Amino acid sequence: MKDGQFITMGIESSCDETAIAIVGDGRKVRSNVISSQIAVHKVFGGVVPEIASRHHLQNINSVYQQALDEAGITMDDVDLIGVTYGPGLVGALLIGLAHAKAVAFATGKPLVGVHHIQGHISANYVAHEDLEPPFLALVVSGGHTHIVNVKGYQSFEVLGRTRDDAVGEAFDKVARVLGLGYPGGPLIDKLAVEGNPYAIEFPRVFLEKGSLDFSFSGIKTGVLNYLNGMKQKGLSVCQADVAASFQQAVMDVIVEKTIRAARQQRQKRVVVAGGVAANSKLREMLGEACRKEGIQMYCPPPILCTDNGVMIACAAYYKYQAGMTSDFTLDAFPNLPLEA
Amino acid sequence: MRLLAIETTGAKASVALIDEAGNTRVQGSEETMNHLQHLIPMIQQLLANCELSINDINGILVSEGPGSFTGIRIGMATAKGLAQALSVPIAGVPTLRSFAYHLEREDVIACPVFDARRQQVYAGAYGWVAPAQRDGGSGDRGGRENCGKYGNCGGCGNCGTAISLVEDGAYDLKEFLGRLESTVPHADAMGGRKTVVFFGDGLDRYEQEIRRWGEEVKERGIQVEYAPVERRYQEALSVAKLGRKMFSDGKQRQFGEIEPVYLRQAEAQRKLEERLAQEKRSSQET
Repeated sequence: MKDGQFITMGIESSCDETAIAIVGDGRKVRSNVISSQIAVHKVFGGVVPEIASRHHLQNINSVYQQALDEAGITMDDVDLIGVTYGPGLVGALLIGLAHAKAVAFATGKPLVGVHHIQGHISANYVAHEDLEPPFLALVVSGGHTHIVNVKGYQSFEVLGRTRDDAVGEAFDKVARVLGLGYPGGPLIDKLAVEGNPYAIEFPRVFLEKGSLDFSFSGIKTGVLNYLNGMKQKGLSVCQADVAASFQQAVMDVIVEKTIRAARQQRQKRVVVAGGVAANSKLREMLGEACRKEGIQMYCPPPILCTDNGVMIACAAYYKYQAGMTSDFTLDAFPNLPLEA
Repeated sequence: MRLLAIETTGAKASVALIDEAGNTRVQGSEETMNHLQHLIPMIQQLLANCELSINDINGILVSEGPGSFTGIRIGMATAKGLAQALSVPIAGVPTLRSFAYHLEREDVIACPVFDARRQQVYAGAYGWVAPAQRDGGSGDRGGRENCGKYGNCGGCGNCGTAISLVEDGAYDLKEFLGRLESTVPHADAMGGRKTVVFFGDGLDRYEQEIRRWGEEVKERGIQVEYAPVERRYQEALSVAKLGRKMFSDGKQRQFGEIEPVYLRQAEAQRKLEERLAQEKRSSQET
């Protein structure tokens, strides 16, 4: 306890961010330290697992100390340690887990393993203090594309998910073929502002009738075919038009399916989470569609969209409130399912 | 003074406690490659067996590598986390060197060979300053001058220290055996040792090649032995013994000062650097 608050430390290392945060009473951010490896992986055009693992190990002890210092507390004040245990890169996950377990063991603090996507959803509890389940969640990031019916703090039903690439992955791949760099999401988002979203007709993959699943590998191929075709014809390509049209095609599908899911579940609130929740086109299009349906849309600020420790601390807090803790055999699960 | 040693760089993990007097207790696991899951419970069990709590630990010893990259990181992250949270010093213990403490005899050359994949081994060779030489042959320990005559001991006074005869590294097996072969006669002068004992999972992988080499060097009076399977691999006990010596030599550090020893770049990094070097070469040619 500190300042009358129940203090949770949240530890996240599932991909390329080493992040630790201190959160009071589950929703009040006291510190949020994120050590990003974007610069490290840029030269490879994507996250290299072995290199990510090495950097997590290099960074985690100083991130831990900084999180405590910025919160103005010591480990004695911490009541609970939450840590991501999946899904994610196994080598990356295990650094956060080994650190969390060591600290919990050394200090006698309780430990809670957190599902990464439950974390992303929970970022919205921090950003919107009145938000409580039930609601519909759209989780979109470099590793995940999920439509989730959030029935309670610990009750999830996955209604749809990607069958191949995650949406953020598709952005990265298209950015690469356009020679924009890495990570692709923000670069395409920025470039698309100058382009015509209807200049090129890229495929919109809706899958079987009624399915809430996604497939983004086809659109990536569509962009590649278009670029090759133009090259063969010796025609020049307007990159901004490609970016804008690609983004439009992706978001058409995401928005359509999200709204359909909300209608089916009779949810009047849609919560967006994950790195791609920072995408301006998604916010604009989904916001507009929600308004038409009389649905309220919630998005976290960008700092809580990216992988962070705050969301893990928040999710851990609610798991602990529900009587859930983990023992020291807690392991890393690269393909951890959301529904228990 | 009680030190906790952690060894997770090989297929099986183990932990050990060592006190000032050198008394040791060991806890191992029969599980292979599931170190993250078993490490803390193993430490709990060890402490419980000794009726101790984690707060009775005054320092952490961690096998720093080389070995399995993932295994190294599980040990390192756990050890550094413990050292940080307990505010105790830590030592990164060289994994290959720890094999010098594997057999309780100093009249042999310990030669750990780990399978590093890609047709390579992580390997080294360690010998001791032989007791006869160390004591000047008379039982007193004023033999520092004697030390200076032998190997790369260099008269440093490090009696009781294992001396590196072949530098730790990632080698092609042939290259390593070549280096070893040219070192053994030299080491021989240090105390009449002509016996090399091989350890490590590289022995499993390259047993035929190593045995063939053993036959060849027999003619030159070099005996080759192979560690029995139950003492062949990494052990926290040896990490504890070497680590205790590091602490008594003042080589303990703070958690922020120690790093894993991979002895090899990440594959993607190596390929990138290769490509960049090639691009540089071709741009110079044009």
